[in-house]
Amino acid sequence: MSKTLLVIQREYATRVRKPSFWLLTILVPILLAALYAIPIYTALKPAEKTTVLVADESGLFGGMDRNDTLRADSRFCSTENIEYQYAATLEYARRQMDASDSIAAILYIRSRASGAIPTDACLYYKSDLPPQQVRYDVDRQLQRILRNRLLQAHNISGDEYALISNTKINLRTEDLETGRDAFVEVKTALGLILAMLIYMAIFMFGSQVMRGVVEEKSNRIVEVIVCSVRPFQLMMGKVVGIALVGLTQFLLWVVLTGIALVGIQATNSELFQTATQKHELTELATKGSDATLQMEQSTEMADLPQLVEGIASIDWGAILPAFLFYFIFGYLLYATLFAAAGALCDNDTDTQIFSLPLTVPLLLTILMMPAMLNEPSGTVSQVLSLIPFTSPVAMMLRIPFGVPLTQVYWSVALLVASFPLCTWLAARLYRGSILRYNRLASFRAKYKKKK
Amino acid sequence: MFLETRHIEKNFGDYRALDDINIGVREGTIFGLLGPNGAGKTTLIRLINRILRPDHGEILLNGRTMQDDDVRQIGYLPEERGLYKKMRVGEQAVYLARLKGLSRLEAESRLIKWFEKLGIESWWKRPVEELSKGMQQKVQFIVTILHNPSLLIFDEPFSGFDPVNATLLKNEILALRDKGATVIFSTHNMASVEEICDDIALINHSRVVLSGGVGEIRHSFSKNLFEVVTQPSETQLVLPDEFKVLSHKSNTDSELTVVTLPNGATANDLIALLLNQRQILSINEKLPSMNDIFVEAVKEGGEQ
Repeated sequence: MSKTLLVIQREYATRVRKPSFWLLTILVPILLAALYAIPIYTALKPAEKTTVLVADESGLFGGMDRNDTLRADSRFCSTENIEYQYAATLEYARRQMDASDSIAAILYIRSRASGAIPTDACLYYKSDLPPQQVRYDVDRQLQRILRNRLLQAHNISGDEYALISNTKINLRTEDLETGRDAFVEVKTALGLILAMLIYMAIFMFGSQVMRGVVEEKSNRIVEVIVCSVRPFQLMMGKVVGIALVGLTQFLLWVVLTGIALVGIQATNSELFQTATQKHELTELATKGSDATLQMEQSTEMADLPQLVEGIASIDWGAILPAFLFYFIFGYLLYATLFAAAGALCDNDTDTQIFSLPLTVPLLLTILMMPAMLNEPSGTVSQVLSLIPFTSPVAMMLRIPFGVPLTQVYWSVALLVASFPLCTWLAARLYRGSILRYNRLASFRAKYKKKK
Repeated sequence: MFLETRHIEKNFGDYRALDDINIGVREGTIFGLLGPNGAGKTTLIRLINRILRPDHGEILLNGRTMQDDDVRQIGYLPEERGLYKKMRVGEQAVYLARLKGLSRLEAESRLIKWFEKLGIESWWKRPVEELSKGMQQKVQFIVTILHNPSLLIFDEPFSGFDPVNATLLKNEILALRDKGATVIFSTHNMASVEEICDDIALINHSRVVLSGGVGEIRHSFSKNLFEVVTQPSETQLVLPDEFKVLSHKSNTDSELTVVTLPNGATANDLIALLLNQRQILSINEKLPSMNDIFVEAVKEGGEQ
């Protein structure tokens, strides 16, 4: 036992000390934090003030209003970063643009026969494409003004319109007995994330085991080691050592990402506050006066409480232990087999051939994901979550939807039972191959003989 | 006998790698395990190391069947030897020593002594990949003998060593034998066999074809060949027809003649014939070298 511990220690220490381990450990949280922070920063960053010239020949978008007498809902309103200026003609606007650098684009709306509604507008730019923020805002205001014009023409008040477009029927999927919402979308997303995580973890750390075995074999140190350690101890030491490396890395990722996120929020608390305040202010300013603008924002926000409710509705107490269990046992099952496959290889190029039979069941489960999501309790799902080679990925996909306990018991029992069996088989293969070379050729020779 | 194998048989599938192997290694001697490539030497060594198990027969250590724990008494330097390339030299040596059952402190103190003795102490903290092949071999040698094994097994120990280091290694092996260790060593280097082995076994086609003391074997292969050095003379050397002269060279100050004696004839008979004809300076029996014996035994086996 103490020898297995020594092997575990070495496997763990040499891997954790590698610069590549720390690089990956630090890069992933930075990446995640950046993913979170960058959109906020860019949204908050006071962008350069740009000017958009509106050459509105149709007159519907405020172009004929020389004295700014129109209400805000019928004309382009300047925002904090974008200033809208009206120009009488496209020609005039173009000359202005040539003269000044601060003009980002010209919005040109062609004149139409009176009463006709324009169907297209063009945003002209010179050499530099206008920022996305500008294009987005121009589009938003175009639609808003057009809508208001139509409402006026048909004599519909803003409040009436808001009522009509805000009224929706919400279709839910509910359990007949408990009356609880199924939150299918949230669960699908969660199931996919969990299943992919398990798949990636098994594959990544399993192939590390394999590469470790091949390394020992190709540099021939294995013969020295098997004199003092039994091959089984060496194999299990490697499998467990790498499992601990994996758990360490996961733990560090969680902790470091947490620290990074809290750090970002703490150091930029001002920015975060102003962001929310600004949001409230614009909402207040537009209330009543511009019903459609208000509506746009409220529909964007409407999904959020439902998402929170969906996340809260998930049985985390069942998912987290299940994830840990299927991660550990799924990894152990595959890692021993990856070790055996590694023992069959002479060098790195052989690994692809010998790892292929191991990747097939994993890939199969990934390919069956759409079918399983379509029917989380269907036959395909049930079968895949019973087979030990596919159950870790399949079960994680199903678990957010709730799985009958008897199925969980069977799946767990089969997975646990198959582990010693697989280990036994892997140990036999490993012991038989670890000191022999050119296994591929000898298998071929055997096959030919039998033929 | 310190180590004895009895009727050892080992098969790999349809292939019989070892067939009825019986060898005996006396305590405190150096035993040479010879044979062409693929004869089964490494398989036999792995059986002794308990890396493999025999299909038939048994291995006795000190008169009793070997147990798993007995491998602690063995130090084994395999032919294909490697180290973890990325690990530091000292750390790796400590790891391998601890796998052999030494404590960390014990391993470190013994290693430092040996590193100093072989002049590689400055490499302790360097990664293995920066070491030359000869240097790595020194590290492997130290690790092999560090736990004071009573049985040492070296598989082709001299391959990859330059002559200076090979001599150093040879002297260390002899010193270990003098301290009471028993050594089994497998090699193709026949000169080193004559020089340091007490007994040998020659394995060919999975069987022991020749075994015994080195001197004994050389005598048994004797062709009754004698080398005579005499004063030069004007007259022709005359010998009976049964005494075949194989070569005759004369210099200004001596003559060298190689003669095969007929069966039953001894050096004395030759001397009697020469006494009246030449002034004898020296007479030596020319024993076949281990190299000749090896080639001859292997050839015979091949013709079977």
